[in-house]
Amino acid sequence: MTDFLKGYDIQYWLESAPQGYLLDTEYGHDPDAREPELVLSDPVLREQAVRTTVQLVVGERCALAASSGLINAAPDEPSRRFLATQTLDEARHVEVFTHRLLDLGVKSSELESTIADMANPNLVKFAELLLERVDKKDFVAGVVGQNVILEGMAFHVFEMMYAANRDANRKFAQTLAGTIADERRHVGFGENRIGSLIRENPDRKADVERLQQEMSYYMLATFGSQFRQGPTPQEVGEIMQRGGAPATSSAEWKGVKLSGADPEELEAALADTILREFKVRLERIGIHYQTPHRP
Amino acid sequence: MSSELGEVHGLPPEAFREQVRSFQFWFDAVQGYLEGQEYGHRDHPEAPALDEDERERLITVLCNYCVGETAALEGAGGLIRLAPNREAKVFLSTQTVDEGRHLEVLTHRMRELGVDDVEAAIARRANPSLVRFKQRLLDLIERGHWTSAVFAQNVVLEAMEFAVFRRHAQVADPITAEVLAGIVKDERRHIGFGENTLGRALRDAPAVGLELRALRRELDSLVLTSLEHTLSDLHASTQEKTDLSRDYLQAVTRLGFA
Repeated sequence: MTDFLKGYDIQYWLESAPQGYLLDTEYGHDPDAREPELVLSDPVLREQAVRTTVQLVVGERCALAASSGLINAAPDEPSRRFLATQTLDEARHVEVFTHRLLDLGVKSSELESTIADMANPNLVKFAELLLERVDKKDFVAGVVGQNVILEGMAFHVFEMMYAANRDANRKFAQTLAGTIADERRHVGFGENRIGSLIRENPDRKADVERLQQEMSYYMLATFGSQFRQGPTPQEVGEIMQRGGAPATSSAEWKGVKLSGADPEELEAALADTILREFKVRLERIGIHYQTPHRP
Repeated sequence: MSSELGEVHGLPPEAFREQVRSFQFWFDAVQGYLEGQEYGHRDHPEAPALDEDERERLITVLCNYCVGETAALEGAGGLIRLAPNREAKVFLSTQTVDEGRHLEVLTHRMRELGVDDVEAAIARRANPSLVRFKQRLLDLIERGHWTSAVFAQNVVLEAMEFAVFRRHAQVADPITAEVLAGIVKDERRHIGFGENTLGRALRDAPAVGLELRALRRELDSLVLTSLEHTLSDLHASTQEKTDLSRDYLQAVTRLGFA
C-alpha cells in the first residue's frame, strides 16, 4: 500500500502539475488565449457555453467539498496527503471554470444566481448524496462516489468536450486538458486505494454496489439532460460556419463526428464509453456493476 | 503577470483579497522557492553528520512539528466546508496542500535520519499539550465554529510554528534549515489570511472579540507548554525561550487580544 501511495505524494504532484503541465499557464490556459469572439457575441453559443460551464463549476464544487472533507476520514497519512493535493486540484478547477463564466460575461454579482438557475438538478442530487456520506466520514463510500463514480464518469465527458473544442476554442480546450490530467491521478488513486480497502473489508462490497447503483443514475441522467438542452451539434456547426469560425468538421471522439452527430448519437456514444470503462474500473476494485434504477 | 506581489498591493481591497487567495497567486508564490528542491531541500554534501544526542533531539522535535502539521492539514481541510465564500475555500485549499507538503517533508527528513516507523515515533514522542491543542482545533471545526477555528489554526497555531521554525532554521543543520525555511514562507501567507479574515470579522461584529479572548486564554497555556518542551529539546537558552514566547504572544496580540 505504501509503495503505491509513493506515486501519489506531494513531491510527485508538484513536479507533474504545478511544475509540469500547468507551468506558464494562467487560470489553466496560455495567458494570451481568449474565448472566441463568436462564442461571446452569439447569444445561442454563449448561453450554451455558460450552461456547460455552470455544470463544471457545480461538479467541481462538489469534488472540492468531498475531497477536503475526506482528509479527516482517511485511514492513513499518505492518503491524507494525496487528498490534500486533490483538494487543491479541485479548488483550481472551481477557480478556472468560475473564471470562464466571468470571461463569458457573467457579472460577478450574478454569478451565484446564474449557477443556481442553470445547475442540473440531477448533478445537485448527486452532490447531496455524496456529501451526506462524506459528512458521516465514510471514507470508502466517499472515495467511490468521488474518485470512481463522479470523476470516472466525468473524465469521458471532459475528453469528449476537449475533442470538440481542440480546434474551435483553444483556451477552453487547454483548461480541459489540465483538468483531465488531474482527474487521471484522482481516478488512479481511487481505484488503487479502494481496491485494497475492499479486499481488506469485503463486508463493504454490497453497500458500495448499492451506492454505485444509486449514484450512477444521477450522473447518467445529468449527461442525458445536458445533451437534450440547448442547440444540437449541427446547429452549433451552422452558427460557427456562418460566423467564419475555424472548421470543426474533423473533430471526432470514439469514432463519432462531433459536429454532425445528433444528440441521441452523442449520448449513446458517451453512455457506451462511460459504462464500458466504468464496468472495467469497478471490476478492478472488486465491485460488480449494478444497473441504475430510476428513483 | 497580474498576481506579482508589487502589483497586487495597488489593487482595491476586494480585488486584492480575490487575487491573494487564488490558486494562481499560490502557484506563482511557491514556484519561486520550491523549484529545484526534492522533499523541501537540495543536496547538501557539506551537511555534518549529527551525533546521537543531536539526532535524537531533532527526531523528537520533528515528531512534534508533525503533530502540529497534521493538525493544520486536517484543520485546513475541514475549514473548507465552513468557509463563507469561494475565495476563502480556494485559499484554504492552497493551505491544505501546503500543510500536506510540510508533513511530507518533515516525515521524509525523519526517514533520512533513520526513523523507519514514522507513525510510531510520532505517537511515542508527541507532546500531550500539542495533541490536546489538535483535538481542540478539530472539535471547533466539527462544531462549525468558523471564526474560532480560523483563530486557533491561522493565528495561534501558525504564529507558534512561525516563531519556532524561524528560530530553529537559524541553528539547524543545513538540510533541516532549508526544509524549515520553506515552511516558514508558507506560514506567512497563512497568518495573513487569518489576520485579514479575523480583522474583518471583528470589525463587523465586535462581540466576536469576547469569544476569541476566552479561547486564547485556553489555548495559550497549551501553546506555551509545548513551546517550552520543544525549545528545551533545541537547547534554547532561558533568554531565547522568553524571546520566542514573546514573539508568539505579540503575533496574537496584533489582533487586539492583549
